[in-house]
Amino acid sequence: MPSGALLFQSVILGLLLGGLYALLAAGLTLYFGIMRVVMIAHSAFLILAAYLAWWTHTRLGIDPLLSMIVTVPLFFGAGVLLQRGLLSRLRAITLTMMSVLLTFAVALIIEGLLGYAFTGTQRRIQLGYGSAGLQVFGARIAVVKLIAFGLAVLALAALYLLMKKTTFGWALRATIQHRDAARLVGIDTERVAGYGFGLGLATAAIGGTALSLDTTIYPSLHWHWIGPLMAIIVVGGLGSVPGAAAAAVLLGLIQSLLQIPLGTTWAQTIFYLALFATLAFRPQGFFGGRLAQRF
Amino acid sequence: MRSSLRRTRWATALGATTILALGACSGDGDGGSTATDDPILVGISLPLTGDFSEPGKGVQQGYEAWAKITNDKGGLLGRQIQLKILDDQSNADRVVADYEQLIGSDEADLVVGPFSTRLVVPAARVAEEYGMLFVEPAGAAKEVFSQGFKNLFYAAPAVANDHYNHLAEYLLALPADKRPKTVAYAAMDDPFAQGTAYGLKDKLEAAGIKTVVNEVYPPNTTDFSSIAAKIASSKADMLVGGSQYQDGVNLIVALQQLNYQPKLAAFSGAPTNPEFAKAIGNKTEGVLSPTGYSPDAPYPSNKEFVEKFTAQFGKAPDEDQANAYTTGQVVAAAVTAVGCAEQGDCQKKLVDWVHGNKVETVVGPLSWDQTGKPQGAHMIQQWVGGRIRIVLPEAVKEAEFVYPKPAW
Amino acid sequence: MLSVSRAVGLVVLAAAVLSFPGLAPNPYILSAGIVVLNYAVLATSWNFVGGFTGYISLGHGALAGLGGYGTALLVTKAGLPSFVALAVAALAVAALAVPIGLAALRVRGASFVIVSIALVLILLLVFQSWSSVTGGSRGLVVPRPFPDLLRPEHHRVFYYLFAGLLALALLAWWVIDRSRFGLGLKAIREDEDKAEALGTPTFTYKLIVFVVSAGFTALAGGLYALWFGDLDPVFQFSILTGSYLVLMALLGGVRNLFGPLAGALIVGTALEYFKGQFGNTPLHLVATGVLLGLVVMFMPDGVLPAITGLWQRLRKSPQSSIREVSAADLQTERQRAEVAK
Repeated sequence: MPSGALLFQSVILGLLLGGLYALLAAGLTLYFGIMRVVMIAHSAFLILAAYLAWWTHTRLGIDPLLSMIVTVPLFFGAGVLLQRGLLSRLRAITLTMMSVLLTFAVALIIEGLLGYAFTGTQRRIQLGYGSAGLQVFGARIAVVKLIAFGLAVLALAALYLLMKKTTFGWALRATIQHRDAARLVGIDTERVAGYGFGLGLATAAIGGTALSLDTTIYPSLHWHWIGPLMAIIVVGGLGSVPGAAAAAVLLGLIQSLLQIPLGTTWAQTIFYLALFATLAFRPQGFFGGRLAQRF
Repeated sequence: MRSSLRRTRWATALGATTILALGACSGDGDGGSTATDDPILVGISLPLTGDFSEPGKGVQQGYEAWAKITNDKGGLLGRQIQLKILDDQSNADRVVADYEQLIGSDEADLVVGPFSTRLVVPAARVAEEYGMLFVEPAGAAKEVFSQGFKNLFYAAPAVANDHYNHLAEYLLALPADKRPKTVAYAAMDDPFAQGTAYGLKDKLEAAGIKTVVNEVYPPNTTDFSSIAAKIASSKADMLVGGSQYQDGVNLIVALQQLNYQPKLAAFSGAPTNPEFAKAIGNKTEGVLSPTGYSPDAPYPSNKEFVEKFTAQFGKAPDEDQANAYTTGQVVAAAVTAVGCAEQGDCQKKLVDWVHGNKVETVVGPLSWDQTGKPQGAHMIQQWVGGRIRIVLPEAVKEAEFVYPKPAW
Repeated sequence: MLSVSRAVGLVVLAAAVLSFPGLAPNPYILSAGIVVLNYAVLATSWNFVGGFTGYISLGHGALAGLGGYGTALLVTKAGLPSFVALAVAALAVAALAVPIGLAALRVRGASFVIVSIALVLILLLVFQSWSSVTGGSRGLVVPRPFPDLLRPEHHRVFYYLFAGLLALALLAWWVIDRSRFGLGLKAIREDEDKAEALGTPTFTYKLIVFVVSAGFTALAGGLYALWFGDLDPVFQFSILTGSYLVLMALLGGVRNLFGPLAGALIVGTALEYFKGQFGNTPLHLVATGVLLGLVVMFMPDGVLPAITGLWQRLRKSPQSSIREVSAADLQTERQRAEVAK
């Protein structure tokens, strides 16, 4: 039986991890809500952002968090371009399937270019406060993990406010709920969809920077992320941002706790077991999301 | 459009035929004669891209240094050495295709091994089935030697499971109250990395030293906080990491975050890396690592190797480079002694020669048992006073063993 | 009824495939031929699902891996003869495809793709971790079915075995294509709701064809394992393999019997070419990605229909008013007509 301290430590670690999962899954959910697109390249952009943060730190010698000043707008623009220039040109009737392949191709291109530019060597940012930790009720929390979690929470909160309190958010939600109706009430759904994509990709920029603070990165790392993220958005109910966030925190927590008795590898299978169970018993997801039934 | 649909099919059929036929024609090799002044073509497949690409490049430098140094001295049997290096993308399917190509299409006179245990076994099978001598620099796990290969030789002092033999002897010779009582093991899911950690584990467990944590993590693990939490909560006296490079660093940083302080910490791979100290915040004092090679080793050919390698690449050689160079030395010794280097009967003679002889190399004299397993042990190095020094065995030590290890 | 030209085409194709081992100048070329044939079988097997129903699976690499490991384990642990083990493993994978299909096919499109990717990732984890059975990262050695054959002879035998399997897969696809069952499947591809409304048991149809596809994929994977001899989870359960199959089938044309075969020839050759061209850099990934992107954007129906279309226009052959068009084509045509108005 694991000690109480280890359990508590694992709960904390699970919550910290879940926060990052939640931010990234929110982006994936946005794409799906807007266009019914499963964006395989999301985690490739995540790793790209992490590399840019690493590069900023090692080459320019400034704090990796500052790289977001460039990467967030850059990724927003890339998202708009990706939607307007590529995805919206696919034939509507085969869009879901073909968009998977197209974004898969984008992921391969990013992975190849990262490997070309930075080689396959594993990289890690070396920060002065990298090994520092805080003592909280008997558990120790690494400072870098706390920063990453804080970033994720801030970004999610900003996304929430944007969706709920602004005119653009209102238009975006209307587009997600019923595209044709949104068009009828005068929303330029094409443009809104493009910006929505940019927003999704901007979450990858923030998530990637957070990720780079405390883990190793290498070009093919994105395969390691896309599986859990896709499982999260299905469990949360395709298209539902709050559902994805709830599923992310829950699954992150379960993964962290399962590592105590089962070890790292088996613990990862929880994502896929949850995915299969969701599809078999409750295809619309466990946290709302009406879309999944049909897609 | 029924007819047009049909036509599509037959257009395809014809297209396919053409491509097949073209494929069949394009393969004509230059079936060359082997006149005595032809260069000796040495075929190698290495992981130059993909997961093993970093050590793969080290091995490549070792082979290039060997070819240059040998050619500068007039080559082998009066023939120049020509390397043909293919990239296997760290992929087992590719490594097999590469050796098929090197042996079948390029008609290489000699082939030597790739990097990583995972690729050595499939590659060695190709060489074995074409009857080629196969000396390799990287297949150190015991599984390599249980496949029944007759032509395979590992060109390093010891297999993975024997890497910590000197450390185990040292610890078991300590008085019972000074020995570590509990040990935590964390090993990458890789035959080599696991082999090193479990070799030590078997010996310590047999002597009654308790295993309190035994974790295996997949090679793509980037977040070590959960493993670290388990190790830290076990408060083990000693930590053994079956690591390559980055995973060892990540584990140490995660343990530092949790403020876990073992009395001994040993890692395979990581601590010998030039960037190790910086990566863990220079808190290296007392960290242990086994090594099969030291640039300071007194063997005659080593001085020449270190000097010329440094001149060629601008830095001292590492273990990967040395193992590749050693591989070259073993092959060269056999070729010189037997007096031939080509496919066919010659290969059998080369194999027999290596089985029956001892070869002087940059890692010391090497000899092999029937399975191609080398008969030696690794030295143990430790970070002492900001440098990594040999501490075991007694006979070659450069510094005193530090125990218990200072805090990191 | 077979027309003369079709019969001639078939004979020429068969002759080209069968004479290849005799023409191959060395065993390396022969082994490269086996790899391409293996891709052709896998892509054709994939096309049972992709071509008939329009459901795109990125997880067929996992089914092939299961076939390989199944065959290997039945030989090494249960002591079955190699080819009996191959048949049993293929049946077992087909049986396993039923629950997988039940979960994946209940919901449409996107979820199916996600499940197919998840299948690869979970099997990779399981086969790595469960090392007492699968050998884990130490790998699994598959005993040779013909231990006495020299390597070149071994290649030759397996070349013909793969060619036979390819013929079988093509025959099965052809039979389904011409059946009522095939008609129902194609109705699903064009409009699943209408197909269902017209009384096609869509779910059952999808499940059956998925199981058939899984069975053929497992046969190819198992045969490859017997030929190759070494299995490692990382290489058996790779998403990249699955994506190559999709690229091959799409590039060749999923509506065509020989589309995946043509795609396998083109992509198999292209992969070799990229590798040779870009040497030690990972740019082959970029090249593969660009090729896939171009096919998806500009040639979603594949090269064969594109070439045939061109041929048709050159010959200006009269078209009858009854023809097979996809719902996507129809929509494009209608849009064009509307714009013209």
